[in-house]
Amino acid sequence: MAFMSRTPARQGVAGNRVRIAAGIAVSVIFLFPVFWMVLTSFKHQVDIFTNPPKFLFSPTLETYVEYMTRADINKRLANTIIVAFGSGVFSLLVGAMAGYALARVRIKGAATFGLLILLSRGVPPIALAVPMFLVARKLGLTDKHITLILAYSTFLVPYVMWLMRSFFVSLPRELEESAMIDGCSRYGAFFKIIVPISLPGLISTMIFSMILAWEELLFALVLTNRHATTMPVAIAGIAGDTINGANWAALTAVGTITVVPVVIFALLVQKWLIKGLADGATKG
Amino acid sequence: MGTVQIRNARKAYGAVEVLHGISIDIEDGEFVALVGPSGCGKSTLLRMIAGLEDITGGDILIADRVVNNVAPKDRDIAMVFQNYALYPHMNVRDNMGFALRQRRVPKPEIAERVSAAARILGLEALLDRKPRQLSGGQRQRVAMGRAIVRDPNVFLFDEPLSNLDAKLRVQMRSEIKELHQRLNTTTIYVTHDQIEAMTLADRVVVMNGGVIEQMGPPLELYDRPASLFVAAFIGSPPMNFLSGRLAEGDILLMADGTRLRLPVGDPKRRSEVTVGVRPEHFAVAETGWPAVVSVVEPTGSETQITARIAGQTIRVLVRGRFSAPPETVIHLQVAPEHVHIFDPAPLPDLAELEDVA
Ligand SMILES: Nc1ncnc2c1ncn2[C@@H]1O[C@H](COP(=O)(O)OP(=O)(O)O)[C@@H](O)[C@H]1O
Ligand SMILES: [Mg+2]
Repeated sequence: MAFMSRTPARQGVAGNRVRIAAGIAVSVIFLFPVFWMVLTSFKHQVDIFTNPPKFLFSPTLETYVEYMTRADINKRLANTIIVAFGSGVFSLLVGAMAGYALARVRIKGAATFGLLILLSRGVPPIALAVPMFLVARKLGLTDKHITLILAYSTFLVPYVMWLMRSFFVSLPRELEESAMIDGCSRYGAFFKIIVPISLPGLISTMIFSMILAWEELLFALVLTNRHATTMPVAIAGIAGDTINGANWAALTAVGTITVVPVVIFALLVQKWLIKGLADGATKG
Repeated sequence: MGTVQIRNARKAYGAVEVLHGISIDIEDGEFVALVGPSGCGKSTLLRMIAGLEDITGGDILIADRVVNNVAPKDRDIAMVFQNYALYPHMNVRDNMGFALRQRRVPKPEIAERVSAAARILGLEALLDRKPRQLSGGQRQRVAMGRAIVRDPNVFLFDEPLSNLDAKLRVQMRSEIKELHQRLNTTTIYVTHDQIEAMTLADRVVVMNGGVIEQMGPPLELYDRPASLFVAAFIGSPPMNFLSGRLAEGDILLMADGTRLRLPVGDPKRRSEVTVGVRPEHFAVAETGWPAVVSVVEPTGSETQITARIAGQTIRVLVRGRFSAPPETVIHLQVAPEHVHIFDPAPLPDLAELEDVA
């Protein structure tokens, strides 16, 4: 403290510089693989395997043109969008209402129940994937969008429920009580008062859920084979197809195609994301 | 008809009973204050009337109808909460009109009723603001506006002024009183502040530990407190208490042997008693109880004297001016009707009550 108080202003500037430098360093570490993926996707096959790796090369759109015009890739992209959107919306609806109940309803054992649901997330997904496949087959639900949406909800609903529970706990109960005196039922109070107030939190939670669904591989691999297959499965397929050697250009190009919509989406909703993360609760 | 009857109402949370059988009959148009220390069950009782808490036992009737199992929205009540509970995403106009919109009142009528209420409360200029753009006092007013546009059978207030600073609290207090005189709607008002209760209510219900200690018009509680608790709770500055044994019918025999002759006797009592006298009911005279002055504090219109009788500290409030150096012995007289004799009981912790305020 004594050291800091001697030159507070310069300390502040220096402290800021350290922070910015650290931020950049962390970003570089996180983003380098992405950067390398994007870079590789523009290379000719010959440039990919040079050692040392090339930063300067004549770029090509060849791989993109090939894969973006392929019907199966487009279908998978569409599937991914449907499944991510569907599971985002569905888990938000169910999870938010469950989170609200956990936050508000005074029932013996509610906390234990909530904890159990959270603990269910401790089961490794691979242990669930096979039973899930068997159940889906019995129900005639294999290889359908709804199959993945329901499967993803098994981990998204607990996630949404816990995030939204802590959000709702921070809102004063009197808001709904007032609404209930003013003429609403419990559901009316939830949808007319609590939901509008919680919109930033709800939307940012839904966005995270969608991203989790977007990138999910294991369940998609097990539960789908042709019609409802998603992009991560496509990437895995390319990665596994090594008959003619690893097709890095294809792998990275399809990877980039998968990431770009998420980045665009994140930029579009950035305002909501930051607001939802920052203010936690909007109090009156 | 805004009558409210509470018949032997009980409330338990799990195995713990917090209200032990409360009965109050409230007339149409009456202003009743529920007052008592924090945790005595005032809010719980009010919330049971509102339908926000289940009724464990007994009955609650609003307008002669048992409402035990009626949803809050069907009880025709309006409630003002301590934190106001304004809907943060709606402007003042929509906040005030919300209940009417829920009841599908035609739009022009809503607009009319909202602006009438806004006029009464001086909110016209604020109708387009969001709650977060209002000061504490303005929010309080909006919360009241939201209640009065409803024109309900009963108003329920739960410590509506506790979040305001002292000056604003006094101002809003008289506005609430004025509003009640104007609208004449049955009102149940919860507060821990006995001054608020005394100044506002037609009838004050003093609660303690989940039971009613006493209820009646404010001055009746002041003049004839039924228990030591009520005596200590009602009145400011608080009543003085002297403890000792009652001897010969009218002598208070104190621990150090001091004998005080009481202006009234109570031959039935023979044992330990606590005698209460309000500070404003002492008169300094030539004869009477001897008291040793510790501090004299003039305020102009009146003078407060802190003194000791047999080592027990008392406060005396006299009109006008008075001066005496410390350690002077003065003599105090009390009229018979101003001496209260109680069985000894633990006193409520008044310092703690002040903290809450
Ligand atoms: N939800 C609850 N669960 C358990 N006990 C409660 C609950 N709400 C209130 N109580 C208890 O009931 C008693 C009365 O509370 P309350 O009515 O809020 O008091 P007051 O409004 O007079 O300060 C307190 O002892 C409090 O701890
Ligand atoms: Mg209370």
